[in-house]
Amino acid sequence: MKAFAHFNAASVEEAVSLLQRYDGKAQVIAGGTDLLGKMKDRILPGYPEALVNIKTIPGLDGIAEKDGLLKVGTLAILEDIAHHPVVREKYSALAQAARRTASPHLREMGTLGGNITQDIRCWYYRNPNNRFPCLRKGGGRCYALAGDNRYHSIFGGSVPEGCVAVHPSDTAPALIALGAKVLTSQRSMAIDEFFQVGVAKTTVLEGHEVVTGVEIPQPAPGSKSAFIKFAFRKSIDFPIVNCAALVQTQGGKVAQARICLNAVFPKPYRAVAAEEAIRGKKLNQANADKAGEAAVAEAEPLSHNAYMVTAAKALVSRALLACSG
Amino acid sequence: MSKDTSKFLCPYCAETFGSFDELAAHALAQHKGEPEPRPEGMIHLTVNGQEFDIQVQPQWTLNYVVHDLLGFTSPKMFCDRGACGSCTVIMEGRPILSCMSLAIECDGQSIETAEGVAQAKHPLIDAYVKHHTMQCGYCTPGFVTTAKALLDKNPDPSLDDIKEALGGNLCRCGTYPQHPKAILEAAAELRKDQGEGQNG
Repeated sequence: MKAFAHFNAASVEEAVSLLQRYDGKAQVIAGGTDLLGKMKDRILPGYPEALVNIKTIPGLDGIAEKDGLLKVGTLAILEDIAHHPVVREKYSALAQAARRTASPHLREMGTLGGNITQDIRCWYYRNPNNRFPCLRKGGGRCYALAGDNRYHSIFGGSVPEGCVAVHPSDTAPALIALGAKVLTSQRSMAIDEFFQVGVAKTTVLEGHEVVTGVEIPQPAPGSKSAFIKFAFRKSIDFPIVNCAALVQTQGGKVAQARICLNAVFPKPYRAVAAEEAIRGKKLNQANADKAGEAAVAEAEPLSHNAYMVTAAKALVSRALLACSG
Repeated sequence: MSKDTSKFLCPYCAETFGSFDELAAHALAQHKGEPEPRPEGMIHLTVNGQEFDIQVQPQWTLNYVVHDLLGFTSPKMFCDRGACGSCTVIMEGRPILSCMSLAIECDGQSIETAEGVAQAKHPLIDAYVKHHTMQCGYCTPGFVTTAKALLDKNPDPSLDDIKEALGGNLCRCGTYPQHPKAILEAAAELRKDQGEGQNG
């Protein structure tokens, strides 16, 4: 790696002021497993001048339920989330998502904040030494459109010209299904508003804004949540498609459902059509399959990824059924 | 952004002064008796019980420091991207990847490598030898540290627990079936040792 300055922030305020001083040329580092990979491969034309370590900020790694909310600090380690008894019992989609993220070693290092703020996946974008100066790097075109796009978006690009990279987070769809709120150094927002579709970045975070944690409301009585991931290898891969669902049933029928797919679009894709399709219906195989079909009704697969539409359809159906009983 | 060298920076509290004399007067008045400030980049690292103070650069990974500089050669560099598990070391009871950790962020930490596992006469080592758990052996230290961290946390792992814990370790020789055998045997050995200890 090239040389850079390094700061151990003692507080969120200090981290923010360091980021302001470097004005876009510094990066926040927590677990570092996404950032260091990007820096080692030099995938971007620019290189951070400084890293601001937020692991040294006390009190940001908690996982606790309080006042009807599950509060998870941005530095909470994924492996700890996956095995936390309260998360497993009441917020199962998040525990299952954290448990299926990356490999055990990466889960022991990776944080929840880092998992939702990680960069998109596209093998042209991530090719070492900025080999493909694509749209996302300020270049002229999206190489995946004409190239090998077997792991790319099935719901269109970031911009009309392309950028069909996908958001690879496993915990993000779980947090969306669970209706979480993201807390940052300057505001709090519903997680649906946190991610953005644009070629510049994956979130609405400003350059000097730091995620400090998430808050998840306790699921209403009669609710269940689940997360399902489709990847080539069970133990280590990024998702080809994943899906999280939260279903509230009343009198044997679905009163409320929140369904979110990921790795199918540049940001987590909330399957609103599927939610509407299942609302008021009984949770059985036929209705779950219909919801799956509704979820992908507007899909526009590229030349090599039509199979992802089938996978997404099946995952929506399976995630819903996993919430029954 | 380069550092402003025209100012004199107090190494204790980062206050700046216009001249060396002013800085000296301030340091004597405010910080007399405090322990000496540590130079930037100086970290304290405990590796297998041995203590080191070493000055590191921000871009140095933990693997570079432990393997190349301190000479503990068991954490192997292979993929250098956090995808293979060969460089695994144990830090705070967690099996972590030394290639994806910055040494400067490990100040004050205690690290255990496969050398440490062997030094402690852990039954894993004998079980690994007995079950031919290696062919070329390059990935083995990563497996051993991962298995040790698992046994520390869970002294009676099931086959599934072992498979899940080793999910991030890759072996090109394909020694996979042997690892659970060795780990289950080491776990039984450990429990036997502890049982004997308790019975006097």
